[in-house]
Amino acid sequence: MTLWGAALAALVVGFSDSASAHPVIQGVTGFPGGLLHPVLEPAHALSLVALGLMVGQQRAPHRMPLMVAFAGALLAAILLVVFAFAVTEAGTVLLACGGLAGLLVAIARPLPIALTGALIVIAGVALELDSVPAIISVQDTLLALAGTAFGAWLALMVVAGSTLDPKREWQRVGVRVLGSWAAASVILVLTLKFAK
Amino acid sequence: MLRLLLLLLFAIASTSSALAHTGGGMGGGFLSGIAHPLFGPDHVVAMVAVGLWGAFLGAPAIWLLPVVFPLVMAFGGVLGILGVPIPAVEIGIAASAVVLGLMVALAVRPSLIVAAIIVGAFAIFHGHAHGAELPAGADAVAYSLGFVVATGLLHLCGITFGLLVRWPSGRVAVRVAGSAIAVAGLVFLGGTMA
Repeated sequence: MTLWGAALAALVVGFSDSASAHPVIQGVTGFPGGLLHPVLEPAHALSLVALGLMVGQQRAPHRMPLMVAFAGALLAAILLVVFAFAVTEAGTVLLACGGLAGLLVAIARPLPIALTGALIVIAGVALELDSVPAIISVQDTLLALAGTAFGAWLALMVVAGSTLDPKREWQRVGVRVLGSWAAASVILVLTLKFAK
Repeated sequence: MLRLLLLLLFAIASTSSALAHTGGGMGGGFLSGIAHPLFGPDHVVAMVAVGLWGAFLGAPAIWLLPVVFPLVMAFGGVLGILGVPIPAVEIGIAASAVVLGLMVALAVRPSLIVAAIIVGAFAIFHGHAHGAELPAGADAVAYSLGFVVATGLLHLCGITFGLLVRWPSGRVAVRVAGSAIAVAGLVFLGGTMA
């Protein structure tokens, strides 16, 4: 299963395209646009892959609570948007969470659920806040955010689910290598951002 | 692992983000990031040598180096982006090919810590060069991911070839490859010092 997880991770990031608050595919807005946003926006896809690998690497009793916490964070963030809450650096926070998750995956040590839980909740909220579309219609905005929440949760589930309990040594190392790549990329991106 | 490599290459070949944000073809993005280590022969031979040496040393080095190297390289990249000067970066990169090639050619087997320090030190030089040469306006996420992935794939090439050490003739082939890398490193070293 790890092979397919790694392949999915590579494909998700590989197929990612640049995007911002604008539709990732011209003309695709609303729920479908939101659904595609997490996997077509490079920073979001990278973070989701790292977070998914981290969830998949945890002990079995911790995985489901983490996935539920992520879903809860995504939904809570929609409520925050409804109440007009906004932050300017949500994308940076999400990338930092993804980088930290990648580092934790590379280290591959048992982690307290308080740490992984906090990371996943912060990442979920940041991802949703960074995905608010630049459209005026309230209905379209909510549909897009709902799509983003579903797409992000699904992506996390797929990555985490397909990397569960690798049986061979090279599979476990493959997951760690992917985490290492994600962490290294994020370190460079954040440095570049703050060095400007 | 072969299937994973093929899928990764497929993903790389399929991506369209390379030209998303920059005006000039290979100026930025994923393809540019991929191309940066691949079009620098000094980088290529040194990265392959890391994989070869890892395979030569066996477990856990064969697995530890590909995990640790990108992180240390990123640290070097940070220094490069921030403009922190490191003396003789190009000489260090050429020297990495010489030293790592010789390690393989002479079948040197230091402790894991020593091997990690040697490889890590050279990773800083390589990372610094990548960071300092980051093209302006590049899509940072795609670019950085591209060159980290390319570096990892070069390690994988070295590891794959290095697995030949299981057979006596393969062991000779790997040591010959190490010698060739060391010679290439000397040529690069001569070029940088000329």
